[in-house]
Amino acid sequence: MAAQHSHRQRRVRYPLDPHPPASTNLPTSFQMVSLLKLSQVTEEGVRFLSPHDGSPMLLTPEHSISLQNSIGSDIMMQLDDVIATTSPDHARIKEAMHRSVRWLDRCIAAHEKPESQNLFCIIQGGLDLELRRECCREMVARDTPGIAIGGLSGGEAKDAFCKVVGTCTQLLPERKPRYVMGVGYPEDILVSVALGADMFDCVWPTRTARFGNGITAEGTFNLRHAAYAYDFRPVEEGCQCTCCRPQSEGGLGITRAYIHHVAAKETAGAHLLSMHNVHHLLELMRRAREAIVEQRYPEFLKEYFGRLYAGDKDKYPQWAVDALQGVEVDLLSD
Amino acid sequence: MTVQPLDAVHRDKIAQLPEEMFTIIKSVGRATEPRLGRLHILGRDTLETPHYVATTSRGVVPHITQDLFARATGINGVYVPLEDFIEKAPDKIPPLYQFKSPDGSSPLRRFIALRERALLVLGARRTPPIIAPAANPNTNTSVSISTSVGFRPLTAEDYAEAAEKLQPDIVVGLGDIPYGRALGSKRIEKATDRNIEWLQAHVDVRNDWYEDTTGPSTELFAPLLPVSCANQHYYIESLLQDRSKDVDGLAFYNLAALEDLPDGLSHLPRLALTEPTTPHEVLQHVSLGLDVLTVPFITAATDAGIALSFAFPATAAPKAEAPPVSLGIDMWTTDHATSLAPLVEGCECYACTNHHRAYLQHLLSAKEMLAWVLLQIHNHHTLDLFFAGIRKSLEDGSFQQNVEGFAKVYESRLPEKTGQGPRIRGYQFKSEGPGEPKKNPAPFQMLDDRSEKLAESTPPAADADAAELEEQGFAEKQS
Repeated sequence: MAAQHSHRQRRVRYPLDPHPPASTNLPTSFQMVSLLKLSQVTEEGVRFLSPHDGSPMLLTPEHSISLQNSIGSDIMMQLDDVIATTSPDHARIKEAMHRSVRWLDRCIAAHEKPESQNLFCIIQGGLDLELRRECCREMVARDTPGIAIGGLSGGEAKDAFCKVVGTCTQLLPERKPRYVMGVGYPEDILVSVALGADMFDCVWPTRTARFGNGITAEGTFNLRHAAYAYDFRPVEEGCQCTCCRPQSEGGLGITRAYIHHVAAKETAGAHLLSMHNVHHLLELMRRAREAIVEQRYPEFLKEYFGRLYAGDKDKYPQWAVDALQGVEVDLLSD
Repeated sequence: MTVQPLDAVHRDKIAQLPEEMFTIIKSVGRATEPRLGRLHILGRDTLETPHYVATTSRGVVPHITQDLFARATGINGVYVPLEDFIEKAPDKIPPLYQFKSPDGSSPLRRFIALRERALLVLGARRTPPIIAPAANPNTNTSVSISTSVGFRPLTAEDYAEAAEKLQPDIVVGLGDIPYGRALGSKRIEKATDRNIEWLQAHVDVRNDWYEDTTGPSTELFAPLLPVSCANQHYYIESLLQDRSKDVDGLAFYNLAALEDLPDGLSHLPRLALTEPTTPHEVLQHVSLGLDVLTVPFITAATDAGIALSFAFPATAAPKAEAPPVSLGIDMWTTDHATSLAPLVEGCECYACTNHHRAYLQHLLSAKEMLAWVLLQIHNHHTLDLFFAGIRKSLEDGSFQQNVEGFAKVYESRLPEKTGQGPRIRGYQFKSEGPGEPKKNPAPFQMLDDRSEKLAESTPPAADADAAELEEQGFAEKQS
């Protein structure tokens, strides 16, 4: 047991919050993947039609860096060539990986403020682990201050996602932050942390709030459902967020019934649930960090999954069980 | 927000307060003249009048979450319509009626998480309400209300029961108010009878409800019909005589009843559930002696992306040759795209002290909800100052002169709406019939809509002009 423990400690790192504190600037990046249908990627850059007026535009690595330099974000992201992981075109995925490496060089060369802004590379290579390894080797050699694992969360199977994260983290240097892009479901974050990732970002907690979904340790619930109209408990019992905390403790004491009353009807409903959901994730990450420091992250994971699936181990997702087995955490053991 | 035991200082303060809920501080004596007053309800912030209460939708000032309401606005009173909460009543008991306040205080206040010291006014209908179709008229026992599941009748009895159970600070009695329709003399007679009867019934409910206690904890405001007092004189008579001990204030739905309001009712606070569309109309309302107003154009301006920018008294001196100053700034226009100035120079609201025009313009064009949050904070702050200016002018006797100056300096209307507001919901407008255009234009279109159009169109004729080319999917003409 002791040997296993020390082994785990080497791998499970101290994760950063999925959302940087408000005082720091958010990483900036340009998401070209959603415009893919109309964009055309050439060695020069990405050509696309402006979503505003349809006029043709060109985004080059140099231009992307210059924009981020003027924005002044603490973390800036390279321009990369992203292909949906589900794409069947292997040759194109390979080309995109190599192009991302070449673009990284152009980004580094164009970066004017390396002393005050941290440029992160983005590992590409689809679901092909060999391509991912090659990309890791190439990019780590460029010695950027931090490393992102990109191109995931595009609808690939969860086990494939875990394999890519696990493969990359094994090849990445210990003392640089590892940022898995676009990951937001609590389970995905916690498993990725076990696989050695540090940072995450996702629109999911706030977007799902706009649809009336509240995130709790027991799962995510749509409060627009009629079942909640007469439910006078807070969104999550015991939650210390401004929305859930009772009025006697300085909170708002908002009930599920009230969220049901305003969700998808008033913008304030989205705001209230966003407050709760973001608080829930920040609190989850705080507890994950605490567990890592106290050397009980595996127990933390077991407790988390136990609560999420009400102790029914048959319901545990296979991908999570398998991925965690790979880092010697047995979710199914007692 | 717990109810603290009163310490000695507080007790002394309460002892010093006037017994009356409403005190007129300054008035010229006639009924229809502007007046300075103070509306005081134990446990709430004192409302110096003339003032406004913010209008709410489904229990919230639109775009302002309850924590922001307490932290970033100076709003000290809200108007809440019951129709926002009673979707399927009476077939199904609404959640609000089953909700039990954790500390025995007003269930409505706790349900909507309203700040403890903010004044809570409850009425039956939104202001402005959505006018019920002719097929859903008010009856002898009910009014037609609009809920998110359609128009439904609300009986006077149910309303009175609910209002007393929910314990707002002020409850506006149910009136047979014919929104949007002129009244014939027969109809006025009927409405007068209904108002007398409904008010009587409401008072009976209160007497039953508070039999064992010291008296009602809510203040009952009697609704006046939107006609002159002479036209509803039986109702006015009943207010002056039978009901004189039961009624704590009056609610107005237009200015007609103010014209010949008898002196016997002038000591009562006057709540206006009217729809002033400009600050000029607000000034007119105040001039006629209204004390507490609802100002729906604040939220309307916010939704339109307009930052209100007027001040009372007008800061610029009226000049004969100068063009009138705009009442608001349309934040959608790209003129603001690079402006780091606050929305209004010198404004001390949260939005103006923390953000600039360029950010707001960006938020609007990106359709980020934060744009409306910031505008709503700013626009309410503008009205806070506007009413403070009114009270100060009344105090020092410069009100009439300042009203004239205001009319000379400012434009007569708010700027036209150019941008798109937040999504409009079913309970916010009434369908006018078939063939109506979409209220919420699709946020996204196919990006290559243009090229498809181009491919489908026949080649343009040699003498086609720019407009025709544009129609066929060519780039827009740059002016």
